[in-house]
Amino acid sequence: MHMIYKVSVERCIACGKCELACAFAHGSEGRPAKTRINIHRRGPELGTPIVCFQCDDAACVAVCPTEALARNVETGAIEMVRSRCISCRMCVAACPFGNMLWDETYHCVQKCDLCGGDPRCVPFCPTGAIAWVPVEEAAIPPEPLDRESLTFETGTGV
Amino acid sequence: MPTLKVNGRRVIVDSDATLLDAARAAGVEVPTLCQFDGLEPWGGCRLCVVDMSQANWDDDWFKVVTACNHPVDEGMTVITDSDRIIETRRVVLDLLLARCPDTPLIQQWALEYGIEQTSYTPNPDPDDCILCGLCTRVCDHIGVSAISSINRGWGREIAPPFNQPPPDCIGCLACAEICPTDCIPFETSTVRRKIWGKEFEMLRDPKTGEAVITKEQAEHFAERSGVPMTYFETSDRSKRREMAKTFEKLQVVK
Repeated sequence: MHMIYKVSVERCIACGKCELACAFAHGSEGRPAKTRINIHRRGPELGTPIVCFQCDDAACVAVCPTEALARNVETGAIEMVRSRCISCRMCVAACPFGNMLWDETYHCVQKCDLCGGDPRCVPFCPTGAIAWVPVEEAAIPPEPLDRESLTFETGTGV
Repeated sequence: MPTLKVNGRRVIVDSDATLLDAARAAGVEVPTLCQFDGLEPWGGCRLCVVDMSQANWDDDWFKVVTACNHPVDEGMTVITDSDRIIETRRVVLDLLLARCPDTPLIQQWALEYGIEQTSYTPNPDPDDCILCGLCTRVCDHIGVSAISSINRGWGREIAPPFNQPPPDCIGCLACAEICPTDCIPFETSTVRRKIWGKEFEMLRDPKTGEAVITKEQAEHFAERSGVPMTYFETSDRSKRREMAKTFEKLQVVK
């Protein structure tokens, strides 16, 4: 069964849990790495998740001088082969969508590789704005999010 | 798909594989210094030597070859830990330690082979460069060839032509990043980059001022890919913001 990473922009509440999950899933020794999913925050509880599209004809793959980026046929993701990367950062400049990250802390290039088929961000999303679904479900339009029911009243305890 | 034996373990590899590929497929570690997965093998450091016997040779006739660039052949027998091989590697590291007595990477490797101190006269002017050639090879691979090795013997070193700031260098830092002993100095910021005595202007995002590559890098790849140099200008953060704006305009079609 082929799976696909589905993003339902309308359901994102910009909570940032996916960013944290990703950063900690790929960091080490308690140090979070740069997150490979980025939420573009447009307002309170309004966000647009931007993550690697695993392009069919990827610019990053085309520009890499040492073939350090390659398709994993099982997951469909374009993965970094760390042992071939020379940190020239051309892929960071070449990606038309800004989904290649230069991580200064680990001094290397990072990108979403769908965590080898089990994306760590998906279970953390409270609204299902990001999901790991069978390919057949990719075209199903997302359920609109009931934003009213998200708000709750804070009181001073009376 | 030839079959061979590495330390008694049978493996099947691609016909264009090297003995190093076969060893790795067999789960056997072979030390290397001048090998890098993205580059053609060179066989210069001599650390990856292994004992190899062809299928049609006598059972006890082995030849010492470098694993990184020796092609595989059906029925080959490979031994990576014979006494002769261990001693060969020990001598290689002994010599390297003489050249680079203060280099942690070489000190560590030498220690693994029982050397605390080189048995030769240590280099009176210690260098961190192990002359593995990875820097020159990656520069050639990218298609720039700004640096090379010069002189022979004692005087052999890595340098740009005539020891001047190399006109061909695009400031990609691949040489510095690939160097196993980090002995190529460089400076970099969002404004400026300096390496091999050459100064570069960074390609900055016109709106945010962020930069990851030099103008020369962008030019080099723009020529090869047929896109304008300005394609590379926009920072990844700006690009994500643009993508987000595009998504906001999309409507869900029912």
